[in-house]
Amino acid sequence: MIRRVPVRASERLYGLRVVATPEALDHARFAGSAGSAGSAGSAGEVTVLRIASDEVLALGAVDADVADPHAIVELETGFVGWHLTAAEFVSNVERHIEWLLPTHRPALAQGLIAGLPLKLWFDDDHDHDHDHDHDHDYVLVIASSGLAHEVVERLGVPA
Amino acid sequence: MRFALDDQPVDYLDGDSIAVAVVRAGQHPQHGGALCLAGDCGNCSADVAGVPFTRTCLTPARPGLRVRRHPAVGGPPLRLDPPKNPVASPAQTSVQVHRRHVDIAVIGAGRSGTAAAASARAAGHDVMVLDSESGFEVVGVYPGPIVVVRTPEHMLHVHAHEVVIATGAADVHPVCEGNMLRGIVTWGAADILRERSVDLGRTVTVDLTELARFDGIDGQVTAVVFTDGRSTPCDTAIVTSATRAPRDLLARMVSDPGVSVVGPAAERYDLPPCPTDGIVCPCSKVTVGDLQMVWDKGFTHLELVKRAALCGTGTCQGGVCMPHLRAFVTEKSGAPAAPFTGRPASRQLTIAEAAADVFLDPFRRTALHDEHLKLGAQMDRFGGWWRPWNYGDFMREYWAVREGVSLGDVSTLGKMIVSGPDVVEALERLYPTTIADIRPGRSRYVLLLNERGHLIDDGMVCRESDDRFVLTFTSGGASFAEAWVRDWIETWGLNVRIMDRTISLGAINVTGPLAGELLRRVGVPESPKFLQHRHADVAGVACHIMRLSFTGEASFELHHPVAHSAELWQTLMLAGRDLNITPHGLQALFALRLEKGHVIVGMDTELDTTPRRINMDWAVKMDKPDFIGRTALARTADLPDHRRLFGLTMDGPAPTEGAPIYVGDRIVGHVASAFMSPTVGKAIMLGWQKHSPWVDTVTVDGRTAHVTDTPFYDPQGARARI
Amino acid sequence: MNEFVETLLELTWHEPKSSYDVVIVGGGGHGLATAYYLATRHGITNVAVVEADYIGSGNSGRNTTIIRANYGIPESIRFYRHSQKLYSDLEQETGCWVMHATKGLIWLAHTETAMRAERARVLLNTACDAQTVLITPTEVKQLCPQIDLSGGGRYPVLGASHHLPASTARHDRVVWAYAQGAMQRGVHVLQNTQVTGLLRDGDRVVGVRTSNGDIAAGTVMSAVGGDVSQLAAHAGLRLPVRTHPLQAFVTNGYGQGFGPIISDTELLCYISQTARGQMLIGHEYDRESSFSLQSSFQFLQANAAKMSYLLPFVRDLKILRQWTGRCDVSADFSPIMGFTGVDGFVISTGWGTWGFKAIPAGGEQMAELIATGTTPELIQPFALSRFAADHAMADQGSTGTR
Ligand SMILES: Cc1cc2nc3c(=O)[nH]c(=O)nc-3n(C[C@H](O)[C@H](O)[C@H](O)COP(=O)(O)OP(=O)(O)OC[C@H]3O[C@@H](n4cnc5c(N)ncnc54)[C@H](O)[C@@H]3O)c2cc1C
Ligand code: FES
Repeated sequence: MIRRVPVRASERLYGLRVVATPEALDHARFAGSAGSAGSAGSAGEVTVLRIASDEVLALGAVDADVADPHAIVELETGFVGWHLTAAEFVSNVERHIEWLLPTHRPALAQGLIAGLPLKLWFDDDHDHDHDHDHDHDYVLVIASSGLAHEVVERLGVPA
Repeated sequence: MRFALDDQPVDYLDGDSIAVAVVRAGQHPQHGGALCLAGDCGNCSADVAGVPFTRTCLTPARPGLRVRRHPAVGGPPLRLDPPKNPVASPAQTSVQVHRRHVDIAVIGAGRSGTAAAASARAAGHDVMVLDSESGFEVVGVYPGPIVVVRTPEHMLHVHAHEVVIATGAADVHPVCEGNMLRGIVTWGAADILRERSVDLGRTVTVDLTELARFDGIDGQVTAVVFTDGRSTPCDTAIVTSATRAPRDLLARMVSDPGVSVVGPAAERYDLPPCPTDGIVCPCSKVTVGDLQMVWDKGFTHLELVKRAALCGTGTCQGGVCMPHLRAFVTEKSGAPAAPFTGRPASRQLTIAEAAADVFLDPFRRTALHDEHLKLGAQMDRFGGWWRPWNYGDFMREYWAVREGVSLGDVSTLGKMIVSGPDVVEALERLYPTTIADIRPGRSRYVLLLNERGHLIDDGMVCRESDDRFVLTFTSGGASFAEAWVRDWIETWGLNVRIMDRTISLGAINVTGPLAGELLRRVGVPESPKFLQHRHADVAGVACHIMRLSFTGEASFELHHPVAHSAELWQTLMLAGRDLNITPHGLQALFALRLEKGHVIVGMDTELDTTPRRINMDWAVKMDKPDFIGRTALARTADLPDHRRLFGLTMDGPAPTEGAPIYVGDRIVGHVASAFMSPTVGKAIMLGWQKHSPWVDTVTVDGRTAHVTDTPFYDPQGARARI
Repeated sequence: MNEFVETLLELTWHEPKSSYDVVIVGGGGHGLATAYYLATRHGITNVAVVEADYIGSGNSGRNTTIIRANYGIPESIRFYRHSQKLYSDLEQETGCWVMHATKGLIWLAHTETAMRAERARVLLNTACDAQTVLITPTEVKQLCPQIDLSGGGRYPVLGASHHLPASTARHDRVVWAYAQGAMQRGVHVLQNTQVTGLLRDGDRVVGVRTSNGDIAAGTVMSAVGGDVSQLAAHAGLRLPVRTHPLQAFVTNGYGQGFGPIISDTELLCYISQTARGQMLIGHEYDRESSFSLQSSFQFLQANAAKMSYLLPFVRDLKILRQWTGRCDVSADFSPIMGFTGVDGFVISTGWGTWGFKAIPAGGEQMAELIATGTTPELIQPFALSRFAADHAMADQGSTGTR
């Protein structure tokens, strides 16, 4: 489950990792822990990151409906994330990125940042109806947990 | 306002560069030499605030700045008492990198640059103009193209679709007798000095083609002598020239379809007259006489003259001397001499500036890192990961495995799930072993070979169902293996899904004669049999339990979601407390597996290790129709072979790993691994003999060693199966 | 007048002929040294060295000049040790000052695995007469006071191997020493002459086709560095060689103050101070194979960072120049010398990133091979046929550190 409130420290991300045919993933449905189902990209509690044409990281998902009999669906706990405000992102991360960032939202970007393989999830800000006091973008910075200490050292984010 | 030049105060006016202020004070930033004040020559460079070779004409004067002249001969000293590295990483130095993406970067804001920028903007492009005048000093243009820029505050890397080099042309310096005196400036420099209202005293302006020599006293110019014999006294000699030197170093430095040159930088100018006397290359202190001498010695090619006389190899990269060198070679050879290649960087940068915000390969930690530290582990990096080397006493760890129960962190193993209709076919082609007959719930040890039939990795294949397998790879080989498997399966076009689980799963090896007992205590009443695997909850954590044995004792690898590693480890340690459970590090593991004769790929094996060279032909099924390496193995099987890995034993302590193995006084190979085995009571080794005929008795470390069958310990493998 | 210029010997150029006993393609160190030893050791002077550009324009004029013998297999150690000895005598033999200077080479280790490799190296080197000792961090600091033994907190120095006879020499001067020696004895060196094909008589190679016309030859030797695949293809050979760019850079010249050569077995970079006071920094070859001579910024960045960890004082030094060579890297990281199976065509290649140190021994041995028609014992292990026999001369532990 994704926290909507920017928190400074990292947290472990739970979800499902799915490898299946691209077509099956295009139509896959994921259910979050609360049982609320949604389709890819717009699920209530599930954030679906298409990390490759044949691979999805569905954060917050506990169940997946994928029309591929050979799909590999596994619990994924190997990533940690930092929820950064746009300002925090600019000051700590953006400076280190050599490639062009996507301009549309929501968007996933993956690549080397400060020598680390990271994923960035830029959420859109329109469905934050349950947010309390702010409505600006946040960026989820995702790293494999074995590299969390390097992220902290290199990007100056809290552990 | 003042700064210090060689510890003497120098007054300056607001807006002065250091060089301008020094000239205003009647001095010279070096010991002499014509000044251009445009960043093109090396004649004004000095140590500024501890950084030698700083161009003082481009550095604004600041109060209290310490400027030192370089010594007249030899370079500025290398500081022998370096400041202690104040930071943990070069990235945290004061220099930061900023990055910009633009359509077009124009270098130079002169007439040609301004025009190029205007037309690009008119065409709707996002344009950035970079000029040192406005604080953007371009250091280099690299393939990409990427423009590396120094600004007063930070480094700037500009990623551009196109780069337009519009750096203009530079004044040509005078080369003649007396050209290293103080008081000689180029036309452009004179302009700048006048603009800064520096009193130049009596001036004489002389065109390059009419200049015979400079006269001087005490290093200061006193007169200009013209080619017609006239001598005109002066305090400042101003040199003009109809010809100029294109500032094309950046252009000569890179060839990229996105880079173009416009304006004077792209123009071909007439060369100045062939020099006959004086210093031609002030940076490297090369005289015209030097050029003549190397020419006379047969160095009759521009590059050979350059390299023999070192002309053009100084800090300005030929900015001053290139036109004169070319004029010289052109005159001597009678054929026009093209400029030599430009090499980065054009405006020098410090190593700190190049290293700014650079990060090297990361070191990975397993989820048990803190557990190991709590247990006092000495950590070492192995295959890109931090791993426990030992926990203080590796022999204690060794005995815990042999006699009791121990934990090992094997989270770093490569792990992969493959599934799909073609999965058996894919694995049959990937591995030399038969895959089809592995039943679900069973696993098999496998080698991974390359096309040459040489060993590149090893691991386990665990079958989960008809069309789904879990594969493991060595820790060091995991990332290569992942790419290897993906590439081949894609190449073959087989219908297989691949999910890498290396970072997702932690893995703890529970090993020792009491391993089964420990598992019972944490909720696994019936542990899997040797070479079987199954999914089960261990202390509430969903685990994939794989039974195998690398240590020689009963071993259960518990693969589990990495988030639960620490809790699983702690539970196991607690449950085994009265069994004297002791974790083991790599040092003990290497010893344990050596007693079993198991090779470690990369440590015991070499670039060209075929299975037969390590006596593992049994892991290769040549009767399979095809697998990677089969063709090569079939070809080499009948060739004479001289290389073989043997088990060896000898009395006394273990030799150093790597020790040469002798037959008589001939070196026939080396010891790959060695350990003084308490269970065998001898030093045991795996060692190479690379010259046949192989012999049974060799010399290692001055002692006699005997070829011995492996495993050295528990040859029947009974202990792994209990 | 400066000493660099005064001490040069003369190059005597000749008018080309249409036929020679031996034609050597490539006027780099290996080609010229072979010609030199043919002339001096075997009295064979009807020889031409054919160079596409100017002599030393390839890697021989671009390298970081480290001369060492601390390799990882006996065959290599013996060969390079022999070369090291020839280098020691080179100035006396040729009368040319090649600025040969013995500095000692320190290979730093940061992990237990790396220490294990260095311990092994010391034993094997010692057994093969290449003096190498294991030293402690304190001893490293004594030899190189500028070093940060904590490696910037990231690469702590656990120890090192110290190869005492390691040295450097001025690359151009080595090329010229051999060229002069050969040319004085009548060898022709033809610059600006590119070999574009091989002349064949049946299966035999009988000469070369060049941009300036055909030249007949009794024996043709290829010594063309990174361009070897193209040339060998004319003889119908496909070699186990790939061309990779290798980059390096120097700083400006500073006063002398840095004695040894420091090399890092994990970071795969190395540094020394040249006779002109420049700090010279090099690294392992670029991963992607290519014929490009362009320098990359990534290279400069990575190596500037690596050196900043180990030797913090370098941070304030100004970078003068960065450049690239094209290296002929063989499948087992060892050279390929000798017969090719094609009559009249012999080869010296696979010099990769380590062939400067091999110029004297490579030239001497190839000259003997050409003169006698048999492969000298020292280079038998490096025959091309080893690949078909599946007996690699693999010395992985030594790449990346020149
Ligand atoms: C940056 C760098 C650093 C290095 N550092 C070291 C080091 O520290 N120690 C070390 O031992 N080695 C080092 N090396 C490796 C070493 O420089 C080379 O292995 C060695 O110089 C090879 O010499 P060569 O004569 O075989 O080739 P080269 O010097 O490359 O000569 C080949 C010549 O052949 C010519 N040629 C090519 N094709 C043709 C043709 N068709 N017709 C005619 N001529 C042709 C080329 O123009 C060239 O002049 C380094 C290399 C580089 C690039
Ligand atoms: S004058 Fe600067 S390099 Fe020659």
